[in-house]
Amino acid sequence: MPRYELALILKAMQRPETSAALRRTVESLMQRGAVVRDLENLGERLLPYAITKHNQKHSRGAYFLIDFYSATNILSGLLDHLHRDVDVVRPTVLKKDDQVSSSNCCGPQQ
Amino acid sequence: MLAFRGLKRIHSVLLQHGNTTYKTIPAGSLTVTSHVVQHKDDTKLLKMENPYKEPQTGCLLCNVTVDFKNTQLLSQFVSPHTGRTYGRHITGLCGRKQKEVSKAIKKAHSMGFMSVTHKHPQFMKDPNICGIKHLD
Repeated sequence: MPRYELALILKAMQRPETSAALRRTVESLMQRGAVVRDLENLGERLLPYAITKHNQKHSRGAYFLIDFYSATNILSGLLDHLHRDVDVVRPTVLKKDDQVSSSNCCGPQQ
Repeated sequence: MLAFRGLKRIHSVLLQHGNTTYKTIPAGSLTVTSHVVQHKDDTKLLKMENPYKEPQTGCLLCNVTVDFKNTQLLSQFVSPHTGRTYGRHITGLCGRKQKEVSKAIKKAHSMGFMSVTHKHPQFMKDPNICGIKHLD
């Protein structure tokens, strides 16, 4: 069961640089003892608003989603590391809950 | 003595004739079942399920998972002019789903998935599910 989800927005770069940045991120995750379950590419798109990071204004970004299992104590260190990475525009770690079952939802149950 | 016995007999006769509603209660028990029996007979016809009951309809997002990644769905509950989230009286969602949608929209805003001040132009042509008509 995925415990956490990292929604990563990387700078719009060429393919080898993007892959290098991803590799760095996943390696830092594994170094801290996390088990990476899934890596999804949500495509490169225009950011919804201009994001300024590392003294640079970004208008385009590459969106990635990384599911991983990990201990709870590594997250603050991981976020710190990601904020310092120049290629990362916005990292966000979310807890992943799969219990959004629609029992007791209003309305008829099939 | 004789009078006593006579009284007893009269008493027993009176009991038998007068109190027909009460069953002959055996010596030990003191149940009051007779009342219930009578009431059941009276109310047998009145108890019935409402024949005019309409099937219970759920809100729009019943059985639909709401996610911060699904910005197209979330944008349907957002104003196209200002990007503000619509209230419950406009969306028509139930309490739980409205909360989920508003939380997902806020998450998407902070994570850089959805715009705050406007609606994505790609989603402007989506069908209008909220009960609001814009003077366009």
